[in-house]
Amino acid sequence: MKILLIEDDDAIVTLLTRSLSDQHHIVDAVNDGEMGWTYASTFDYGAIVLDIMLPKLDGISLCKKLRGAGYTTPILLLTSQDNATAKVQGLDAGADDYVVKPFDISELTARVRALLRRSSINPLPLLSWGDLMLNPSSCEVSYNQQPLTLTTKEYDLLELFLRDSYRVFSNDEIIDRLWSSDDYPAEATVRSHLRRLRHKLQAVGAPPDFIGTMHGRGYYLTSVQNALDATHRHVVGAIHELPLPHDCDRDNFQPIHSSQQQAAYLAFLQDTWVTTKPQCLVSLAEIEIVVDLLLLGNCNDDDRQAAHQISHKLVGTLGVFALTAAMKIARQIEILLNRSTILSSQAALSLKTYVVELGQAIATTDPSQQTDIPQPDLPLLLLIDLDPALNQSLTAIAANFSYQTIVLASIEAADRYLFSSGDRPPAAILVNFRVPQTTLGLIQNVRLRFPERLVFVLSERDDLKDRLAVIRNGGKFICTRKLNPEQIFTAAISRLAPISTTPKVMIVDDDLDWLRTVPNLLQPWGLKITTLADPQQFWDVLQSVQPDAIVLDIQMPEINGLELCQVLRSDPQWQQLPILFLSVSNDPLSQQAAFKAGADDYLCKPMMGSELADRIRHRLARLTSRDCTN
Amino acid sequence: MNKRLLTIDDEEAIQIVIKFGIKMVAGWEVLSASNGKTGIVTAQRELPDAILLDVMMPEMDGIATFKALQANPITAGIPVIFLTAKAQAAEKRQFNDLGIRGVITKPFNSLDLPDRISKILDW
Repeated sequence: MKILLIEDDDAIVTLLTRSLSDQHHIVDAVNDGEMGWTYASTFDYGAIVLDIMLPKLDGISLCKKLRGAGYTTPILLLTSQDNATAKVQGLDAGADDYVVKPFDISELTARVRALLRRSSINPLPLLSWGDLMLNPSSCEVSYNQQPLTLTTKEYDLLELFLRDSYRVFSNDEIIDRLWSSDDYPAEATVRSHLRRLRHKLQAVGAPPDFIGTMHGRGYYLTSVQNALDATHRHVVGAIHELPLPHDCDRDNFQPIHSSQQQAAYLAFLQDTWVTTKPQCLVSLAEIEIVVDLLLLGNCNDDDRQAAHQISHKLVGTLGVFALTAAMKIARQIEILLNRSTILSSQAALSLKTYVVELGQAIATTDPSQQTDIPQPDLPLLLLIDLDPALNQSLTAIAANFSYQTIVLASIEAADRYLFSSGDRPPAAILVNFRVPQTTLGLIQNVRLRFPERLVFVLSERDDLKDRLAVIRNGGKFICTRKLNPEQIFTAAISRLAPISTTPKVMIVDDDLDWLRTVPNLLQPWGLKITTLADPQQFWDVLQSVQPDAIVLDIQMPEINGLELCQVLRSDPQWQQLPILFLSVSNDPLSQQAAFKAGADDYLCKPMMGSELADRIRHRLARLTSRDCTN
Repeated sequence: MNKRLLTIDDEEAIQIVIKFGIKMVAGWEVLSASNGKTGIVTAQRELPDAILLDVMMPEMDGIATFKALQANPITAGIPVIFLTAKAQAAEKRQFNDLGIRGVITKPFNSLDLPDRISKILDW
């Protein structure tokens, strides 16, 4: 559920935000009473946690103001005064409960749960619907006694439905309730979470329509034993009065726009933005005049109202052009320009700062730079939660290799991107191992949604436990301690290249008779052979052929095979290349020397073509399987 | 199923983007009006299948425009969908009371609009 936290003590905000988030709540935090009023009167919250001592508007006054305006959201007061008068004053102002500072965090979260329970249709501590049980205290979910592992959003969705189990929730309502007010997820994101939740429910035996769709209206828990009369439902907001038959298939249909359509749309947005951008800057200049007047204390209500309307328009326009960062700044300006927000001199100054920032954002971005509408055709690499310098280097290197990168600041943002990425999933994902649990969750989600995509987990720490955890969850571990960005990129990209259907094999041997026959021997087994008799030309031929495997003789004039092998193993590009030795010497010392130099296999002449082909194929297969499990 | 829509929005850029997206994905015809008064005249003359109406417009806002459309027997039957930036709680209550068919919040991807409109209007 979404909670509004109004508290000016940063330490308490951090602590409460973390604890409430752990309980699957979405927290909007503001640090003064006026912003508290703006948020509480603008967005829907399951509960408000409100400090009494606040700048600008104290908690008791805010509580009275909210109740006076008809807002019934449950309010939990935080007070430092442990006396009857303070408590009575708080409760009389319209609060539903209070907690005295310093408080026990588990008591506070339990009281929030109790408030949510009381305000929901379902007043019991355990939420249930048929065989489904959800325990808000332990955050455990089970269906018919089988535990269900859900992502945060899936859990949130289920809790929302269970708290008001006869209600139909529209997409907008779900977004309002389950996403922070600063987030603007696409409807497809909601549908995607719902679809996965339905799959998980179905996997443990729930009916496919456990969460039903009322076409054009929203989603609801379907009747247990089909006993629920449709007329008992009320449609949220009552915008739609007549229930229509639900239509799961229709709901599961997501508009998939082809890459060509997306590309054409993006190009169109860019073209249109060229003429729209100056208009946006004019609008911003109009806002700036009013902001300057506000700073001088010389602004009338009409001017402010007009500027508020202009900022509201800007939010919409920037959003439609997918300029998300600029839109968020415009949104802050809109909130501060609202006449119901009493501006302190400090807030007016921050308004001025926002205006300057927005000017820069509008001037320097265009729709092509937005992650919401990526460039078509080039394979995508998602860079998640990496250091800015590494992001920059990888982006530059990737561009040289015709890859496009999308930089996402957090795993949460990556989740949002992945589940709204439609027909253009990333080729690979590189993510920091900063928060192991969340990272592993991301790997699992990616494997569920895009089983063929690779997730590379980057870590400075070279720890076996970390490696195991990543591998067990289906990711690939790259220790970055001794790697530069180019090597990190190569390490990831080299594993993306699909194994060639006709592997290229380079054979280096000074036995010319053998070299003449070997292509005929191996080609029937689907190998493309390049032979080389002169080791002096080895490096040039290697670079031009780019073989998938190499077969070396040991004894050769001037440069022997062991030396070539060592040369290959000392170069990062060729460290993984399968190297097989083929020699007339079958003595253990030669074999030992070959393996010491870095050989993968050692074979003795004479050898049948089929056997050699088999051993080469075997090494190639090992390489692929190692890539898939590393 | 070819449809004709009317968008009433004072932001020309948004009108253009909506028109482009809808036409490309669904091939529907999209008429435009840049204010409430022109929108009402266009709606009377063209009788579109649905109207996308911006809420915040200068002079005659979306709500006044909607009321005028409802008061006119010629246009009263045309379904109206509001376009608005993230709707405020107070606005939502007001929208519900008016009897509009649905709300599409900005920002939106215009390529998604035909699908969203179809769902709201059960097309």
